[in-house]
Amino acid sequence: MAKKRASGEPWVIPGGFSVLSLQFSSSSSSRHCLYVKEHKVRAEKSKHRPLDRTLFLVNIPPYCSQVVVKGLFSQFGDIESVELRDHPGSSQESRPTISKLFRPPEKQGFKVGYIVFKSSSSLQAVKSYPFDAPLVVSTEERPVKTGVQKWIQQYSESFIQPDRLQQKVDNFMQNYDKHKEEEAERKKKEAEKQQEEDEGWVKVTRGHKGAKARPHSEAANEKTLQKEKRKKKRKELLNFYTWQHRNTQKEHIAELRKKFEEDKQRIALLRAQRKFKPY
Amino acid sequence: MKKKKQSIEEMLVSDSSQNEDQPAVQAKRSKPEVPSEEVVYHPIKLSRNDLYRPPSAEELNQLKEAESLFHCSLLKMQMEELLKEVVLSDRRRQQIDSFIGKVTEHLQTVPTSPKVEVSDLSWLFGSVKVPFLLMPKATKGKFHMTPPASISLIGSYPLGTCIKPHIRVDLAVTIPAEVLQEKDFLNQRYPRKRALYLAGLALHLSSSSEVGTLRYSCLHGNRLRPVLLLTPPGKDSSSVTVRLHACPPPGFFKPNRFHPERNNVRTEWYTGVQTAQPESSDPPTPHYNSSVLGDLLPRAHLQFLSAVSSQCSAFSDGVALLKVWLHQRQLDQGTGCFGGFLASMLVAYLLTTHRVSNSMTAYQLLRNSLNFLASTDLTVNGISLAKDPDSSAPSLAEFHSAFQVVFVDPSGHLNMCSDMTACTYKQLQYEASLSMQFWDEPTIDGFHCLLMTPKPMIRTSDHVFQLCDLVKLQSTCKKQNLLNDLMDLSGNYVQAALPFILSLLQQGLGQRIHLLTHSLAPDPEWSVDSEAPKYKAQLPLSFGLLLKPELAASVLEKGPAADNPKAVEFRQLWGSRSELRRFQDGSITEAVLWKGESVCQKRLVPQQIVTYLLQLHADIPEASVRHVGGIDDVVKTGSEVPTTGEEESLAVVQAYDDLSRKLWNLEGLPLSITAVQGAHPALRYTQVFPPRPLKMDYTFFDKEKTSRSLIPKEGKPCPAYITPITVICHMEGSGKWPHDRLAIRHIRAAFHIRLAELLKTQHNYTCRACPSHLDVWKDGLAFRIQVAYHREPQVLRESVTPEGLLVVRDNEEAQQLEMATIHKPLLTSTLHGLQQEYSCFGAVCRLAKRWLASQLFGDDITEDTADLLVASLFLHPAPFTAPGSPQVGFLRFLHLLSSFEWRNNPLIVNLNNQLTAADYTEIKNGFMASRESLPVMFIATPKDTKSSMWTKRAPTVQMLQRVMTVAAESLKVLECQLMDGKQIQDVRVVMRPPLDAYDVLIHLNPKQVPLLSQAVDPPSVNFSRGVTAQGAAHSGGALPVIDYNPVFLYLSELRDAFGDLALFFCDPYGGTVIAVLWKPKAFAPAPFKTSQVSGRTVKVTGNEAATVPNVEAILEDFQVLGKDLVKSVEAKTDKWSF
Repeated sequence: MAKKRASGEPWVIPGGFSVLSLQFSSSSSSRHCLYVKEHKVRAEKSKHRPLDRTLFLVNIPPYCSQVVVKGLFSQFGDIESVELRDHPGSSQESRPTISKLFRPPEKQGFKVGYIVFKSSSSLQAVKSYPFDAPLVVSTEERPVKTGVQKWIQQYSESFIQPDRLQQKVDNFMQNYDKHKEEEAERKKKEAEKQQEEDEGWVKVTRGHKGAKARPHSEAANEKTLQKEKRKKKRKELLNFYTWQHRNTQKEHIAELRKKFEEDKQRIALLRAQRKFKPY
Repeated sequence: MKKKKQSIEEMLVSDSSQNEDQPAVQAKRSKPEVPSEEVVYHPIKLSRNDLYRPPSAEELNQLKEAESLFHCSLLKMQMEELLKEVVLSDRRRQQIDSFIGKVTEHLQTVPTSPKVEVSDLSWLFGSVKVPFLLMPKATKGKFHMTPPASISLIGSYPLGTCIKPHIRVDLAVTIPAEVLQEKDFLNQRYPRKRALYLAGLALHLSSSSEVGTLRYSCLHGNRLRPVLLLTPPGKDSSSVTVRLHACPPPGFFKPNRFHPERNNVRTEWYTGVQTAQPESSDPPTPHYNSSVLGDLLPRAHLQFLSAVSSQCSAFSDGVALLKVWLHQRQLDQGTGCFGGFLASMLVAYLLTTHRVSNSMTAYQLLRNSLNFLASTDLTVNGISLAKDPDSSAPSLAEFHSAFQVVFVDPSGHLNMCSDMTACTYKQLQYEASLSMQFWDEPTIDGFHCLLMTPKPMIRTSDHVFQLCDLVKLQSTCKKQNLLNDLMDLSGNYVQAALPFILSLLQQGLGQRIHLLTHSLAPDPEWSVDSEAPKYKAQLPLSFGLLLKPELAASVLEKGPAADNPKAVEFRQLWGSRSELRRFQDGSITEAVLWKGESVCQKRLVPQQIVTYLLQLHADIPEASVRHVGGIDDVVKTGSEVPTTGEEESLAVVQAYDDLSRKLWNLEGLPLSITAVQGAHPALRYTQVFPPRPLKMDYTFFDKEKTSRSLIPKEGKPCPAYITPITVICHMEGSGKWPHDRLAIRHIRAAFHIRLAELLKTQHNYTCRACPSHLDVWKDGLAFRIQVAYHREPQVLRESVTPEGLLVVRDNEEAQQLEMATIHKPLLTSTLHGLQQEYSCFGAVCRLAKRWLASQLFGDDITEDTADLLVASLFLHPAPFTAPGSPQVGFLRFLHLLSSFEWRNNPLIVNLNNQLTAADYTEIKNGFMASRESLPVMFIATPKDTKSSMWTKRAPTVQMLQRVMTVAAESLKVLECQLMDGKQIQDVRVVMRPPLDAYDVLIHLNPKQVPLLSQAVDPPSVNFSRGVTAQGAAHSGGALPVIDYNPVFLYLSELRDAFGDLALFFCDPYGGTVIAVLWKPKAFAPAPFKTSQVSGRTVKVTGNEAATVPNVEAILEDFQVLGKDLVKSVEAKTDKWSF
């Protein structure tokens, strides 16, 4: 059983998480628990989450958006960034150019979050926050829309002007084309590089421009293997030696036996299920 | 010991399978009556030694035989198993024999009573009554009780053709000759004495402790032939019934007395009116004659059959199979049935005429019998078992003039089918030919169709109606002057009027039906101390129609030309409804026009005809005819002309065709369109409530200025839901398409924009382009166009490994895209074709889906799955024929759901008839080989033989089990209600789901439920939803609110947030309740892990932190997330407080 906690004290559970309580509005009668901890990973490569200033929190209810979380935690100190995700994990730098419209829709479930504070002292402030003083999500000053209000808002926000959309598409495609061109350029350069190394030697590699190389794909590999196999098979002699003939016959009988047993079992199974009782 | 251990293991396995991931729905609600889950087919593994040991010659033969006769031998094995189930065991026979022995012994000791007048019943003390309706009362003659002259077994039991479960043993008790008089065959004297004798026996037996219950009944509903039913005392009383028949001594009456043209019931006696006419002018009484004669011959028949049976070893098995076949078709019981006795006689006929040989097996006997029935019409060409009839025996022609169906017994005097109506025989013939049709079809499980599937009338006939007040048939007899028949049938006015009514209906319905069937009045049973029940106490007579779909619903009955002599006949039949009409081709003919505008009204034309004809010619008031139906009420819409959606669907399809044509003809697209395909149920006529063209009331909405669109207003009721109808638009492949998923997505968006522009400028449609789709507002309907590129799934599957190797991997995203752009359009067009072939396909789908949705299974059996299931009913109807009305289709859908063995069988839906028998075998083998990894519900189609793509996601084992249970229950309730005239017809009963099984109910605010009016029980108050009453919108104008349904949005939020804690169920068509079921597994305390703390609260025990769901907070979240939509959250259980 949970130990009785003195009021006004933080609650730290085994595993190092501090528990904060959170309620939707001041009139709510029940509370969710937020579990927070300083962000600690053995090898954090990303610059987005500096180890000493990042707060890791789990179990953020679905109605808390990035803005709400920012609002809730700004009382502990200035916040640099808030990142909400479905699952904990290292931050990936996805291609920044994709607009929200072209991303698959987000899941509206419980989230985990990474809050980067401006100063590391804020972390301590959060962790020592008492359990029995709940954070309130929706207040008079910062009302949070849910339910019908939210859906109507979502609906009206889903409209996008065709020319703006077109603009986005054009931008993306320009980038894409540029990217493609660069890629082609790079390849060409590489090929040229291969052409002439110093002292006039030419290093011969696969993928020479102009020469038709075998496509480098799994399907092609598979195809070649199949071809080889077929070739082998064609050369094989079937039922040529007596032992081969005998083997084939043996296999045939074994096959029949197997089938017979299967049928027998099928019937037995049906009988067991009383499937022969007509009414 | 070993066995015990195994069974425990099995239990464990079945236990754990229930706890898997999903809540134990099944364990919670259905009684564990379905043991099928435990018995599972495992591909057998023979050891190497077993497989390769040297074969014996015998084994080799056996194997070879099985190989060459595979299909046949499986059927043979199945039939053998079936016979084992129905044949009596030796132990049972011994029990019965000993009981018979006791009864026989006891009967010998009947005390003799003094001779009295027949009408004097003083000797019959106690409460025992005489099983006879005395009409008229007067009888001459004397009677006294004496011990029987002899007692012997007759019928199926001594012959060995008796089958379970209703074991009836017939015992013939011979009335001593001194009780009878020579002239007793006249005027019901003998039948009355027979009844008295039975009453005497009943009186004697009632004092005995050897006998359980004593009841009266009568043979095949013939009141002249009462029988006494005995059961053994104690617990096995229901297992066997002994029927005591009283018979005259053999040869007591001369058989030629009972020639079908002779009279044995005098009019004078029957009517009680003295007439001057001579006796010879009395009408013949063939039915009376044959019922007396029938008592005279049973021993001779037994002898004959035993002789035949001793010649043919498979006789009894063959008869048993035929009896099972008859029983499944409800042809073996009641008045005028084709019972077990006739079945034996038929097989005997085939054997004695050498149509089958004595060495044939039971399987072959059944086959030949059915073949004979299918090909021989006994209503025209009767058959006779008499080898060399004596000269006094009547000829076949004489039999035919007296009876409808003729099958003469070995003596040559008795027509064994005397009570059978021509309709019953036609039904028998039809069933036999149907059975023969699918016997050899390799794709059909013949065994199952022939012998295992019951065919009750309600599930067989397209339209069923009942005559409730049978008393009304008296007036029919009066009106049609059927006194002679009444006399012949000893006052049984139901039997007397039936042939007339049948021929009337046959004539009136004519071309509209394939077959007219009627129920056989069941044998009445009553206790020995009550009077014989009157004829009117019978159950209602049911009639079934098998409709010809193309003609049944025609509103016009065109008769002969006015000057044609047949016109008189026509006018006579139709009475005042017949009128002269002039047609477009210039002809002037008699015609009858029935009411009916919409398809669903036209479907009722046969009903109108039946009611009208019965009223006109048979004096049966409309109120006494009860038409079974009304299921389609639940999908009915339309205020002025009620429709069940056919018209609306057609309008949608026409609008779509127009749009598709316009898309094809668009000018100025950078790439051309290669295909426009519909991918929405509304475009295949199966949308439960097809979208109707709407016109919006602009004042009801907020407006989005820049894009000229309407937006729902806060505080107002939710606006009407506008279904977007999905249309897939395939674009030509070209080198210009990029080879990158994101780029394709962008290009697609560009296409949407372009299409929107063109549609706006060239056709003035209001459009809204999004990256994923394009909404087009056209004539009051919303179409959602999605541009597709055929190589995109391929692109999604390709990826490059770090080594630079191009690999192709199947993934969810690609599959979903293929589903949406390839498979769904294909399914839609295929099913669209099916609707053209079977006009009520769409209606059945709508009913089925309405039921699924109302029972909250909409997310488990998806729309596509349901449509496929219904399609299978139409494509593979065996042993029925394709449903001809929505009702029968729906009942069969429920039956399919409740009875299909999904564990061990794939459901193969042979769309477009593309699969061959070899494909079937291949599918079945593939299914068997990898059963464990395949979806629980496996549906194979020609385009999808291996993976069952439509059922991959759902249902789960538990939900399927639940669906099956509920379907079985619904079917039971519904059939019971439909066939029982006393119950109030409220088909909605099966659409109201039991809610007490769920843990939490979220009640919704009806104001925010846009589809409220589609609810099963439509509310009395409705809200204004921003739709103007008149007509559909024209093109142009502001874009309405499309695809905005708070209930769907709320559900998806709930599932996103709490999907791993609970299941959410809701009726999408106007349901105002969301039912929540906690997942038991989620409620077990779990160790604290950052990936598994959603919505959970922590408990610390010592050094360990465990989490459990924070139910109070979650319940509040339900409120918060659905603000303004949720009215209240009602927690029904306190499961979390353990």
